[in-house]
Amino acid sequence: MIRVENLTKKYAGGEAVRGISFSVEKGEVVGFLGPNGAGKSTTMRILTGFLPATDGQIEVAGAKLPEESLLVRQRIGYMPENVPLYPEMRVEEFLEYRGRLKRVARKDITERVGLVLDQCGLSDVRKKIIATLSKGFRQRVGLADALIHNPPLLILDEPTAGLDPHQIRSFRELIKDLGRDRTILLSTHILSEVEMVCGRAIIINRGKIEASDTLANLAKRVQSGALQIEVKADPVGAREKLAKLSEVGGVVELNRVGEWVSFEVTALPGKDIRGEVDGLIKRENWPLRDFRREKARLEDVFVELTQE
Amino acid sequence: MTRAFWTLWKREAGAILLSPIAWVLLTCMALINGFSFSQCVAYLGQGVRELTVMQIYFYIFHFWFLLIILVPILTMRLFSEEYKTGTIEMLLTAPVRDGDVILSKFAGALSFYLLLWIPSLLGLAVFQIVTHNAVPVAWIPLGLSYLMVTLVGMLYLSIGLFTSVLSKNQAVSAMLSFTIIALLFFTGFLSYLVRDPGWREVLTYIFTLEQMRSFSAGQFDSRPVVFYLSGTVFFLCLTQRVMANRTLKG
Ligand SMILES: Nc1ncnc2c1ncn2[C@@H]1O[C@H](COP(=O)(O)OP(=O)(O)O)[C@@H](O)[C@H]1O
Ligand SMILES: [Mg+2]
Repeated sequence: MIRVENLTKKYAGGEAVRGISFSVEKGEVVGFLGPNGAGKSTTMRILTGFLPATDGQIEVAGAKLPEESLLVRQRIGYMPENVPLYPEMRVEEFLEYRGRLKRVARKDITERVGLVLDQCGLSDVRKKIIATLSKGFRQRVGLADALIHNPPLLILDEPTAGLDPHQIRSFRELIKDLGRDRTILLSTHILSEVEMVCGRAIIINRGKIEASDTLANLAKRVQSGALQIEVKADPVGAREKLAKLSEVGGVVELNRVGEWVSFEVTALPGKDIRGEVDGLIKRENWPLRDFRREKARLEDVFVELTQE
Repeated sequence: MTRAFWTLWKREAGAILLSPIAWVLLTCMALINGFSFSQCVAYLGQGVRELTVMQIYFYIFHFWFLLIILVPILTMRLFSEEYKTGTIEMLLTAPVRDGDVILSKFAGALSFYLLLWIPSLLGLAVFQIVTHNAVPVAWIPLGLSYLMVTLVGMLYLSIGLFTSVLSKNQAVSAMLSFTIIALLFFTGFLSYLVRDPGWREVLTYIFTLEQMRSFSAGQFDSRPVVFYLSGTVFFLCLTQRVMANRTLKG
Protein backbone atom coordinates (compact mmCIF):
# COMPACT_ATOMS: atom_id res chain seq x y z
CA MET A 1 0.00 0.00 0.00
CA ILE A 2 2.84 2.36 0.80
CA ARG A 3 6.31 2.14 -0.65
CA VAL A 4 8.85 4.79 0.18
CA GLU A 5 12.45 4.86 -0.96
CA ASN A 6 15.11 7.30 0.07
CA LEU A 7 12.64 9.93 1.07
CA THR A 8 14.30 13.20 2.03
CA LYS A 9 12.68 16.45 3.07
CA LYS A 10 14.63 19.63 3.57
CA TYR A 11 13.07 22.65 5.19
CA ALA A 12 14.68 26.07 5.25
CA GLY A 13 15.86 25.19 8.76
CA GLY A 14 17.45 21.86 7.85
CA GLU A 15 16.66 18.26 7.04
CA ALA A 16 13.56 16.90 8.75
CA VAL A 17 13.58 13.53 7.00
CA ARG A 18 16.86 11.98 5.90
CA GLY A 19 16.60 9.32 3.25
CA ILE A 20 14.12 6.94 4.83
CA SER A 21 12.77 3.80 3.16
CA PHE A 22 9.91 1.66 4.33
CA SER A 23 6.80 -0.06 3.13
CA VAL A 24 3.38 -0.94 4.42
CA GLU A 25 1.53 -3.92 2.98
CA LYS A 26 -2.18 -4.22 2.36
CA GLY A 27 -4.13 -5.05 5.51
CA GLU A 28 -1.42 -4.04 7.96
CA VAL A 29 -1.91 -1.70 10.89
CA VAL A 30 1.42 0.00 11.34
CA GLY A 31 2.50 2.38 14.07
CA PHE A 32 4.79 5.20 13.10
CA LEU A 33 6.55 5.83 16.34
CA GLY A 34 8.96 8.53 17.36
CA PRO A 35 9.58 11.35 19.81
CA ASN A 36 8.35 14.85 19.03
CA GLY A 37 10.19 16.44 16.14
CA ALA A 38 11.28 13.08 14.72
CA GLY A 39 9.72 13.77 11.34
CA LYS A 40 6.48 11.80 11.59
CA SER A 41 4.16 14.58 10.51
CA THR A 42 6.51 15.67 7.76
CA THR A 43 6.57 12.15 6.34
CA MET A 44 2.79 11.85 6.53
CA ARG A 45 2.27 15.20 4.86
CA ILE A 46 4.42 13.99 2.01
CA LEU A 47 2.60 10.66 1.77
CA THR A 48 -0.72 12.47 1.53
CA GLY A 49 0.47 14.70 -1.28
CA PHE A 50 0.36 17.84 0.83
CA LEU A 51 4.07 18.58 0.90
CA PRO A 52 6.43 17.99 -2.00
CA ALA A 53 9.38 15.73 -1.15
CA THR A 54 12.89 17.02 -1.68
CA ASP A 55 14.01 13.63 -2.96
CA GLY A 56 12.93 10.00 -3.13
CA GLN A 57 10.43 7.62 -4.73
CA ILE A 58 7.00 7.35 -3.22
CA GLU A 59 4.10 5.11 -4.11
CA VAL A 60 0.90 5.29 -2.13
CA ALA A 61 -2.20 3.16 -2.76
CA GLY A 62 -0.94 2.13 -6.16
CA ALA A 63 -0.18 5.60 -7.47
CA LYS A 64 3.05 7.55 -7.71
CA LEU A 65 3.75 10.84 -6.01
CA PRO A 66 3.91 13.63 -6.97
CA GLU A 67 2.71 12.77 -10.50
CA GLU A 68 -0.55 11.12 -9.51
CA SER A 69 -1.28 13.21 -6.47
CA LEU A 70 -5.01 13.48 -7.18
CA LEU A 71 -5.33 9.72 -7.47
CA VAL A 72 -3.44 9.19 -4.21
CA ARG A 73 -5.59 11.73 -2.41
CA GLN A 74 -8.71 10.04 -3.75
CA ARG A 75 -7.61 6.72 -2.27
CA ILE A 76 -6.49 7.74 1.20
CA GLY A 77 -8.25 8.98 4.27
CA TYR A 78 -6.04 11.40 6.17
CA MET A 79 -6.49 12.82 9.61
CA PRO A 80 -3.97 15.62 10.16
CA GLU A 81 -2.33 16.36 13.50
CA ASN A 82 -4.58 18.49 15.75
CA VAL A 83 -7.52 17.86 13.41
CA PRO A 84 -8.10 21.24 11.77
CA LEU A 85 -11.82 21.75 10.93
CA TYR A 86 -13.98 24.64 9.79
CA PRO A 87 -15.48 25.91 13.05
CA GLU A 88 -18.55 27.58 11.56
CA MET A 89 -19.94 24.43 9.95
CA ARG A 90 -22.30 21.88 11.41
CA VAL A 91 -21.01 18.33 11.76
CA GLU A 92 -23.33 16.86 9.18
CA GLU A 93 -22.89 19.74 6.78
CA PHE A 94 -19.11 19.46 7.10
CA LEU A 95 -19.12 15.75 6.30
CA GLU A 96 -21.38 16.30 3.30
CA TYR A 97 -19.03 19.00 2.09
CA ARG A 98 -16.04 16.71 2.50
CA GLY A 99 -17.86 13.87 0.82
CA ARG A 100 -18.57 15.99 -2.21
CA LEU A 101 -14.95 17.15 -2.35
CA LYS A 102 -13.82 13.55 -2.20
CA ARG A 103 -16.09 12.64 -5.09
CA VAL A 104 -18.63 10.50 -3.31
CA ALA A 105 -21.45 9.95 -5.80
CA ARG A 106 -24.29 12.41 -5.32
CA LYS A 107 -26.85 9.73 -4.57
CA ASP A 108 -24.62 8.04 -1.99
CA ILE A 109 -23.70 11.09 0.08
CA THR A 110 -26.53 11.01 2.58
CA GLU A 111 -26.03 7.33 3.15
CA ARG A 112 -22.25 7.62 3.57
CA VAL A 113 -22.61 10.53 5.98
CA GLY A 114 -25.12 8.59 8.06
CA LEU A 115 -22.81 5.59 8.08
CA VAL A 116 -19.68 7.39 9.25
CA LEU A 117 -21.66 9.42 11.81
CA ASP A 118 -22.79 6.12 13.22
CA GLN A 119 -19.42 4.47 12.97
CA CYS A 120 -17.67 7.29 14.80
CA GLY A 121 -20.34 7.77 17.45
CA LEU A 122 -21.36 11.20 16.20
CA SER A 123 -25.07 10.67 15.63
CA ASP A 124 -26.04 12.73 18.68
CA VAL A 125 -24.04 15.77 17.63
CA ARG A 126 -24.76 15.72 13.91
CA LYS A 127 -26.55 19.09 14.04
CA LYS A 128 -24.01 20.79 16.30
CA ILE A 129 -21.68 23.53 15.16
CA ILE A 130 -18.12 22.23 15.14
CA ALA A 131 -16.79 25.17 17.19
CA THR A 132 -18.91 24.03 20.13
CA LEU A 133 -17.65 20.43 20.15
CA SER A 134 -15.29 18.97 22.76
CA LYS A 135 -11.84 17.80 21.73
CA GLY A 136 -12.97 14.18 21.76
CA PHE A 137 -15.80 14.84 19.36
CA ARG A 138 -13.63 16.99 17.10
CA GLN A 139 -11.25 14.07 16.85
CA ARG A 140 -14.14 11.84 15.85
CA VAL A 141 -15.25 14.31 13.22
CA GLY A 142 -11.70 14.19 11.85
CA LEU A 143 -11.86 10.42 11.66
CA ALA A 144 -15.32 10.52 10.08
CA ASP A 145 -13.92 12.90 7.47
CA ALA A 146 -11.08 10.47 6.76
CA LEU A 147 -13.61 7.66 6.29
CA ILE A 148 -16.29 9.45 4.31
CA HIS A 149 -15.19 8.20 0.89
CA ASN A 150 -14.44 4.70 2.18
CA PRO A 151 -10.72 4.72 1.39
CA PRO A 152 -8.66 1.52 1.53
CA LEU A 153 -5.81 3.29 3.32
CA LEU A 154 -5.99 5.47 6.43
CA ILE A 155 -3.18 7.78 7.49
CA LEU A 156 -3.72 9.15 10.98
CA ASP A 157 -1.34 11.66 12.55
CA GLU A 158 -1.38 11.34 16.33
CA PRO A 159 -5.08 10.47 16.42
CA THR A 160 -5.34 10.27 20.20
CA ALA A 161 -3.26 13.32 21.12
CA GLY A 162 -5.00 15.55 23.62
CA LEU A 163 -7.79 13.15 24.59
CA ASP A 164 -8.61 12.06 28.12
CA PRO A 165 -8.07 8.40 29.09
CA HIS A 166 -11.68 7.40 28.45
CA GLN A 167 -11.72 8.99 25.05
CA ILE A 168 -8.34 7.46 24.23
CA ARG A 169 -9.63 4.02 25.05
CA SER A 170 -12.75 4.28 22.92
CA PHE A 171 -10.82 5.90 20.10
CA ARG A 172 -8.32 3.06 20.06
CA GLU A 173 -11.14 0.55 19.93
CA LEU A 174 -12.53 2.41 16.97
CA ILE A 175 -9.20 2.34 15.15
CA LYS A 176 -8.71 -1.35 15.93
CA ASP A 177 -12.12 -2.01 14.47
CA LEU A 178 -11.31 -0.08 11.32
CA GLY A 179 -8.06 -1.99 10.98
CA ARG A 180 -9.96 -5.18 10.30
CA ASP A 181 -10.69 -4.32 6.70
CA ARG A 182 -8.31 -1.46 5.99
CA THR A 183 -4.66 -0.63 5.91
CA ILE A 184 -3.73 1.91 8.56
CA LEU A 185 -0.61 3.93 9.20
CA LEU A 186 -0.86 5.88 12.42
CA SER A 187 1.75 8.01 14.09
CA THR A 188 2.19 8.41 17.79
CA HIS A 189 4.77 9.12 20.42
CA ILE A 190 2.95 6.89 22.89
CA LEU A 191 4.24 3.35 23.00
CA SER A 192 1.34 1.64 24.63
CA GLU A 193 -0.77 2.85 21.75
CA VAL A 194 1.30 0.91 19.27
CA GLU A 195 1.22 -2.12 21.55
CA MET A 196 -2.54 -1.99 21.71
CA VAL A 197 -3.44 -1.22 18.14
CA CYS A 198 -0.65 -2.07 15.74
CA GLY A 199 0.88 -5.22 14.40
CA ARG A 200 4.12 -3.58 13.44
CA ALA A 201 6.05 -0.49 14.37
CA ILE A 202 8.34 1.76 12.42
CA ILE A 203 10.50 3.70 14.83
CA ILE A 204 11.75 7.01 13.55
CA ASN A 205 14.13 9.38 15.26
CA ARG A 206 15.65 12.61 14.04
CA GLY A 207 14.57 11.93 10.49
CA LYS A 208 15.96 8.40 10.28
CA ILE A 209 14.32 5.01 10.70
CA GLU A 210 15.85 3.18 13.63
CA ALA A 211 13.83 -0.01 13.42
CA SER A 212 10.90 -1.54 11.61
CA ASP A 213 9.60 -4.83 12.86
CA THR A 214 6.75 -6.65 14.54
CA LEU A 215 6.29 -5.80 18.18
CA ALA A 216 7.38 -9.25 19.30
CA ASN A 217 10.61 -9.03 17.36
CA LEU A 218 11.28 -5.54 18.57
CA ALA A 219 10.87 -6.64 22.14
CA LYS A 220 13.39 -9.44 21.59
CA ARG A 221 15.95 -6.92 20.51
CA VAL A 222 16.76 -5.68 23.96
CA GLN A 223 16.14 -8.50 26.32
CA SER A 224 13.43 -10.99 27.07
CA GLY A 225 12.77 -9.21 30.27
CA ALA A 226 13.81 -9.78 33.81
CA LEU A 227 12.69 -12.61 36.05
CA GLN A 228 11.75 -12.02 39.65
CA ILE A 229 11.99 -14.97 41.99
CA GLU A 230 11.66 -15.37 45.73
CA VAL A 231 13.18 -18.48 47.30
CA LYS A 232 14.18 -19.83 50.69
CA ALA A 233 17.93 -20.30 50.32
CA ASP A 234 21.31 -19.01 51.35
CA PRO A 235 21.41 -15.59 49.71
CA VAL A 236 25.08 -15.58 48.74
CA GLY A 237 25.22 -19.13 47.48
CA ALA A 238 21.96 -18.87 45.55
CA ARG A 239 23.10 -15.70 43.90
CA GLU A 240 26.33 -17.29 42.72
CA LYS A 241 24.54 -20.32 41.35
CA LEU A 242 22.06 -18.17 39.48
CA ALA A 243 24.81 -16.02 38.01
CA LYS A 244 26.62 -19.10 36.68
CA LEU A 245 23.69 -20.11 34.47
CA SER A 246 24.72 -19.83 30.84
CA GLU A 247 22.00 -17.50 29.59
CA VAL A 248 21.80 -15.23 32.62
CA GLY A 249 23.20 -11.74 32.24
CA GLY A 250 22.99 -10.52 35.79
CA VAL A 251 21.51 -11.15 39.21
CA VAL A 252 20.46 -8.49 41.70
CA GLU A 253 19.32 -9.19 45.20
CA LEU A 254 16.16 -7.25 45.87
CA ASN A 255 15.35 -7.91 49.54
CA ARG A 256 15.22 -10.44 52.34
CA VAL A 257 12.26 -11.31 54.53
CA GLY A 258 13.27 -13.76 57.23
CA GLU A 259 14.74 -16.71 55.39
CA TRP A 260 13.25 -15.68 52.11
CA VAL A 261 15.31 -13.79 49.60
CA SER A 262 14.21 -12.30 46.30
CA PHE A 263 16.30 -11.73 43.18
CA GLU A 264 15.92 -10.07 39.88
CA VAL A 265 17.54 -12.21 37.22
CA THR A 266 18.13 -10.65 33.83
CA ALA A 267 18.71 -12.58 30.64
CA LEU A 268 21.32 -12.08 27.97
CA PRO A 269 19.82 -10.29 24.94
CA GLY A 270 17.38 -12.46 23.04
CA LYS A 271 17.36 -15.31 25.57
CA ASP A 272 14.52 -16.76 27.56
CA ILE A 273 15.87 -17.91 30.93
CA ARG A 274 12.69 -19.21 32.49
CA GLY A 275 13.49 -22.86 31.85
CA GLU A 276 17.05 -22.63 33.07
CA VAL A 277 16.16 -20.87 36.29
CA ASP A 278 13.29 -23.22 36.96
CA GLY A 279 15.65 -26.19 36.45
CA LEU A 280 18.12 -24.79 38.96
CA ILE A 281 15.44 -24.25 41.58
CA LYS A 282 14.23 -27.80 41.17
CA ARG A 283 17.74 -29.23 41.34
CA GLU A 284 18.55 -27.26 44.47
CA ASN A 285 15.17 -27.99 46.02
CA TRP A 286 14.69 -24.34 47.00
CA PRO A 287 11.24 -23.60 48.33
CA LEU A 288 9.76 -21.07 45.94
CA ARG A 289 6.98 -18.55 46.54
CA ASP A 290 7.29 -16.09 43.69
CA PHE A 291 8.25 -16.54 40.05
CA ARG A 292 7.37 -13.65 37.78
CA ARG A 293 8.53 -12.42 34.46
CA GLU A 294 8.54 -8.72 33.84
CA LYS A 295 7.42 -8.48 30.26
CA ALA A 296 9.97 -7.00 27.99
CA ARG A 297 8.64 -3.56 27.45
CA LEU A 298 8.56 -1.92 24.11
CA GLU A 299 9.37 1.19 26.02
CA ASP A 300 12.86 -0.13 26.64
CA VAL A 301 13.31 -0.74 22.94
CA PHE A 302 12.07 2.70 22.19
CA VAL A 303 14.30 4.43 24.71
CA GLU A 304 17.29 2.43 23.62
CA LEU A 305 16.75 3.16 19.95
CA THR A 306 15.98 6.81 20.28
CA GLN A 307 18.46 7.93 22.85
CA GLU A 308 21.34 10.15 21.87
CA MET B 1 -16.85 24.27 -13.96
CA THR B 2 -16.09 21.20 -11.94
CA ARG B 3 -18.13 19.85 -9.08
CA ALA B 4 -15.21 20.53 -6.72
CA PHE B 5 -15.29 24.19 -7.72
CA TRP B 6 -18.97 24.60 -6.83
CA THR B 7 -18.58 22.73 -3.58
CA LEU B 8 -15.65 24.93 -2.61
CA TRP B 9 -17.37 28.09 -3.78
CA LYS B 10 -20.38 27.34 -1.64
CA ARG B 11 -18.24 26.92 1.45
CA GLU B 12 -16.30 30.14 0.66
CA ALA B 13 -19.46 32.17 0.18
CA GLY B 14 -20.92 30.62 3.32
CA ALA B 15 -17.82 31.40 5.35
CA ILE B 16 -17.91 35.05 4.25
CA LEU B 17 -21.61 35.45 4.97
CA LEU B 18 -21.21 33.86 8.40
CA SER B 19 -18.40 36.18 9.42
CA PRO B 20 -19.29 39.34 11.37
CA ILE B 21 -17.05 41.36 9.08
CA ALA B 22 -19.37 40.65 6.17
CA TRP B 23 -22.24 42.41 7.87
CA VAL B 24 -20.09 45.33 8.94
CA LEU B 25 -18.97 45.74 5.34
CA LEU B 26 -22.49 45.45 3.97
CA THR B 27 -23.70 48.10 6.40
CA CYS B 28 -20.81 50.47 5.68
CA MET B 29 -21.30 50.04 1.98
CA ALA B 30 -25.02 50.72 2.20
CA LEU B 31 -24.43 53.81 4.34
CA ILE B 32 -21.75 55.21 2.09
CA ASN B 33 -23.80 54.46 -0.98
CA GLY B 34 -26.74 56.25 0.53
CA PHE B 35 -24.59 59.19 1.48
CA SER B 36 -22.96 59.40 -1.97
CA PHE B 37 -26.31 59.19 -3.54
CA SER B 38 -27.85 61.96 -1.50
CA GLN B 39 -24.85 64.10 -2.41
CA CYS B 40 -25.40 63.34 -6.07
CA VAL B 41 -28.98 64.38 -5.78
CA ALA B 42 -28.04 67.56 -3.93
CA TYR B 43 -25.50 68.31 -6.66
CA LEU B 44 -28.09 67.86 -9.34
CA GLY B 45 -30.43 70.02 -7.31
CA GLN B 46 -27.98 72.90 -7.76
CA GLY B 47 -28.78 72.80 -11.41
CA VAL B 48 -25.95 70.76 -12.88
CA ARG B 49 -26.98 69.69 -16.34
CA GLU B 50 -23.91 68.28 -18.07
CA LEU B 51 -23.51 65.21 -15.79
CA THR B 52 -25.88 62.34 -15.21
CA VAL B 53 -26.47 60.98 -11.76
CA MET B 54 -24.40 57.89 -12.64
CA GLN B 55 -21.40 59.95 -13.57
CA ILE B 56 -21.47 61.96 -10.39
CA TYR B 57 -22.05 58.90 -8.34
CA PHE B 58 -19.03 56.99 -9.58
CA TYR B 59 -16.82 60.03 -9.52
CA ILE B 60 -17.30 60.76 -5.86
CA PHE B 61 -14.11 60.03 -4.12
CA HIS B 62 -14.96 58.48 -0.76
CA PHE B 63 -16.63 55.68 -2.61
CA TRP B 64 -13.26 54.65 -4.04
CA PHE B 65 -11.62 55.13 -0.74
CA LEU B 66 -13.99 52.60 0.72
CA LEU B 67 -13.13 50.18 -2.05
CA ILE B 68 -9.42 50.37 -1.27
CA ILE B 69 -10.08 49.49 2.36
CA LEU B 70 -12.86 47.03 1.77
CA VAL B 71 -11.03 44.64 -0.53
CA PRO B 72 -8.11 43.92 1.84
CA ILE B 73 -10.56 43.27 4.66
CA LEU B 74 -12.53 40.94 2.47
CA THR B 75 -9.55 38.98 1.18
CA MET B 76 -7.14 38.89 4.11
CA ARG B 77 -8.58 35.75 5.64
CA LEU B 78 -8.96 33.73 2.45
CA PHE B 79 -5.68 31.83 2.70
CA SER B 80 -4.06 33.29 5.82
CA GLU B 81 -6.71 31.85 8.07
CA GLU B 82 -6.54 28.39 6.50
CA TYR B 83 -2.79 28.30 6.95
CA LYS B 84 -3.00 29.63 10.48
CA THR B 85 -5.59 27.11 11.68
CA GLY B 86 -4.16 24.29 9.56
CA THR B 87 -7.37 23.67 7.62
CA ILE B 88 -5.36 24.15 4.44
CA GLU B 89 -3.88 20.71 5.08
CA MET B 90 -7.30 19.14 5.24
CA LEU B 91 -8.39 21.08 2.17
CA LEU B 92 -5.42 20.22 -0.02
CA THR B 93 -5.30 16.54 0.91
CA ALA B 94 -8.75 16.12 -0.59
CA PRO B 95 -8.62 15.27 -4.30
CA VAL B 96 -8.98 18.87 -5.49
CA ARG B 97 -6.74 20.85 -7.80
CA ASP B 98 -4.94 23.93 -6.52
CA GLY B 99 -6.58 25.81 -9.37
CA ASP B 100 -10.07 24.94 -8.15
CA VAL B 101 -9.18 26.10 -4.66
CA ILE B 102 -7.81 29.43 -5.88
CA LEU B 103 -10.66 30.08 -8.30
CA SER B 104 -13.32 29.19 -5.77
CA LYS B 105 -11.87 31.53 -3.18
CA PHE B 106 -11.64 34.25 -5.78
CA ALA B 107 -15.17 33.63 -7.00
CA GLY B 108 -16.52 33.50 -3.45
CA ALA B 109 -15.01 36.88 -2.63
CA LEU B 110 -16.16 38.31 -5.96
CA SER B 111 -19.72 37.15 -5.34
CA PHE B 112 -19.80 38.92 -2.02
CA TYR B 113 -18.22 41.99 -3.57
CA LEU B 114 -20.98 42.12 -6.17
CA LEU B 115 -23.55 41.69 -3.45
CA LEU B 116 -22.16 44.85 -1.85
CA TRP B 117 -23.20 46.82 -4.91
CA ILE B 118 -26.83 45.89 -4.81
CA PRO B 119 -27.77 48.74 -2.43
CA SER B 120 -26.43 51.23 -4.99
CA LEU B 121 -28.71 49.78 -7.66
CA LEU B 122 -31.59 50.07 -5.26
CA GLY B 123 -30.70 53.73 -4.69
CA LEU B 124 -30.84 54.29 -8.39
CA ALA B 125 -34.19 52.56 -8.67
CA VAL B 126 -35.60 54.72 -5.89
CA PHE B 127 -34.28 57.80 -7.65
CA GLN B 128 -36.05 56.80 -10.84
CA ILE B 129 -39.29 56.14 -9.02
CA VAL B 130 -39.20 59.38 -7.03
CA THR B 131 -38.45 61.46 -10.12
CA HIS B 132 -41.19 59.59 -12.00
CA ASN B 133 -38.56 58.54 -14.52
CA ALA B 134 -38.10 62.18 -15.56
CA VAL B 135 -34.80 61.21 -17.16
CA PRO B 136 -35.07 57.67 -18.51
CA VAL B 137 -32.42 55.19 -17.41
CA ALA B 138 -29.44 55.19 -19.73
CA TRP B 139 -28.82 51.47 -19.89
CA ILE B 140 -25.50 51.51 -21.67
CA PRO B 141 -23.71 53.86 -19.26
CA LEU B 142 -25.28 51.98 -16.40
CA GLY B 143 -24.07 48.63 -17.70
CA LEU B 144 -20.60 49.98 -18.45
CA SER B 145 -20.34 51.49 -14.98
CA TYR B 146 -21.05 48.22 -13.31
CA LEU B 147 -18.76 46.40 -15.74
CA MET B 148 -15.99 48.73 -14.64
CA VAL B 149 -16.81 48.23 -11.00
CA THR B 150 -16.63 44.48 -11.55
CA LEU B 151 -13.34 44.63 -13.42
CA VAL B 152 -11.68 46.84 -10.83
CA GLY B 153 -13.02 44.56 -8.13
CA MET B 154 -11.59 41.50 -9.86
CA LEU B 155 -8.11 42.96 -10.03
CA TYR B 156 -8.16 44.22 -6.46
CA LEU B 157 -9.54 40.94 -5.14
CA SER B 158 -6.90 38.95 -6.99
CA ILE B 159 -4.25 41.17 -5.40
CA GLY B 160 -5.82 40.54 -2.01
CA LEU B 161 -5.94 36.81 -2.65
CA PHE B 162 -2.28 36.85 -3.59
CA THR B 163 -1.16 38.70 -0.47
CA SER B 164 -3.22 36.37 1.70
CA VAL B 165 -1.15 33.42 0.48
CA LEU B 166 2.00 35.28 1.52
CA SER B 167 1.45 35.31 5.27
CA LYS B 168 -0.33 33.39 7.97
CA ASN B 169 -0.98 36.70 9.64
CA GLN B 170 -4.18 38.33 8.39
CA ALA B 171 -3.06 41.81 9.41
CA VAL B 172 0.13 41.46 7.39
CA SER B 173 -1.84 40.22 4.37
CA ALA B 174 -4.27 43.12 4.65
CA MET B 175 -1.51 45.72 4.95
CA LEU B 176 0.28 44.31 1.92
CA SER B 177 -2.77 44.29 -0.32
CA PHE B 178 -3.85 47.71 0.93
CA THR B 179 -0.43 49.08 -0.02
CA ILE B 180 -0.43 47.55 -3.49
CA ILE B 181 -4.01 48.57 -4.26
CA ALA B 182 -3.53 52.09 -2.96
CA LEU B 183 -0.36 52.50 -5.01
CA LEU B 184 -2.16 51.26 -8.08
CA PHE B 185 -5.08 53.57 -7.51
CA PHE B 186 -3.16 56.74 -6.73
CA THR B 187 -0.47 56.28 -9.39
CA GLY B 188 -3.15 57.12 -11.93
CA PHE B 189 -3.36 60.66 -10.60
CA LEU B 190 0.21 61.27 -11.74
CA SER B 191 -1.15 61.69 -15.24
CA TYR B 192 -2.31 65.13 -14.11
CA LEU B 193 1.33 66.00 -13.47
CA VAL B 194 3.26 64.15 -16.14
CA ARG B 195 3.93 66.13 -19.30
CA ASP B 196 5.56 63.41 -21.39
CA PRO B 197 2.81 62.05 -23.69
CA GLY B 198 4.29 58.53 -23.66
CA TRP B 199 4.05 58.28 -19.90
CA ARG B 200 0.67 59.83 -19.96
CA GLU B 201 -0.49 57.10 -22.28
CA VAL B 202 0.84 54.43 -19.89
CA LEU B 203 -0.78 56.08 -16.92
CA THR B 204 -4.18 56.24 -18.56
CA TYR B 205 -4.08 52.43 -18.52
CA ILE B 206 -4.20 52.41 -14.77
CA PHE B 207 -6.07 55.64 -14.05
CA THR B 208 -9.12 53.97 -12.63
CA LEU B 209 -11.00 57.16 -11.85
CA GLU B 210 -10.73 58.53 -15.38
CA GLN B 211 -11.70 55.20 -16.86
CA MET B 212 -14.67 55.11 -14.60
CA ARG B 213 -15.69 58.55 -15.74
CA SER B 214 -15.66 57.67 -19.41
CA PHE B 215 -17.41 54.34 -18.81
CA SER B 216 -20.15 55.95 -16.77
CA ALA B 217 -20.59 58.44 -19.60
CA GLY B 218 -21.20 55.48 -21.88
CA GLN B 219 -17.82 55.60 -23.68
CA PHE B 220 -16.45 52.09 -23.95
CA ASP B 221 -12.71 51.54 -24.15
CA SER B 222 -11.20 48.08 -24.51
CA ARG B 223 -7.81 48.97 -23.02
CA PRO B 224 -8.91 49.04 -19.38
CA VAL B 225 -10.84 45.82 -19.90
CA VAL B 226 -7.69 44.10 -21.13
CA PHE B 227 -5.64 45.66 -18.36
CA TYR B 228 -7.89 44.56 -15.49
CA LEU B 229 -8.46 41.09 -16.85
CA SER B 230 -4.82 40.38 -17.54
CA GLY B 231 -3.87 41.84 -14.16
CA THR B 232 -6.34 39.52 -12.50
CA VAL B 233 -4.97 36.49 -14.32
CA PHE B 234 -1.44 37.55 -13.43
CA PHE B 235 -2.14 37.71 -9.70
CA LEU B 236 -4.10 34.46 -9.73
CA CYS B 237 -1.15 32.71 -11.39
CA LEU B 238 1.22 34.26 -8.87
CA THR B 239 -1.02 32.92 -6.12
CA GLN B 240 -0.74 29.44 -7.56
CA ARG B 241 3.03 29.70 -7.73
CA VAL B 242 3.31 30.61 -4.08
CA MET B 243 0.78 27.99 -3.07
CA ALA B 244 2.81 25.21 -4.66
CA ASN B 245 5.36 25.59 -1.85
CA ARG B 246 2.74 24.87 0.76
CA THR B 247 4.60 26.50 3.63
CA LEU B 248 4.09 30.04 4.82
CA LYS B 249 6.01 32.38 7.04
CA GLY B 250 4.47 33.55 10.33
N1 LIG C 1 7.11 24.00 7.99
C1 LIG C 1 8.30 23.73 8.58
N2 LIG C 1 9.35 24.54 8.36
C2 LIG C 1 10.55 24.28 8.91
N3 LIG C 1 10.81 23.25 9.72
C3 LIG C 1 9.80 22.40 10.00
C4 LIG C 1 8.48 22.60 9.45
N4 LIG C 1 7.69 21.61 9.88
C5 LIG C 1 8.45 20.82 10.67
N5 LIG C 1 9.71 21.29 10.76
C6 LIG C 1 10.82 20.68 11.50
O1 LIG C 1 11.01 19.36 11.05
C7 LIG C 1 11.25 18.47 12.12
C8 LIG C 1 10.23 17.35 12.11
O2 LIG C 1 8.95 17.85 12.43
P1 LIG C 1 7.64 16.96 12.42
O3 LIG C 1 7.60 16.19 11.17
O4 LIG C 1 6.50 17.85 12.72
O5 LIG C 1 7.91 15.97 13.64
P2 LIG C 1 6.90 15.04 14.45
O6 LIG C 1 5.59 15.04 13.76
O7 LIG C 1 7.57 13.71 14.46
O8 LIG C 1 6.81 15.61 15.82
C9 LIG C 1 11.20 19.30 13.40
O9 LIG C 1 12.52 19.57 13.78
C10 LIG C 1 10.48 20.55 12.99
O10 LIG C 1 10.95 21.64 13.71
MG1 LIG D 1 3.79 15.60 14.47
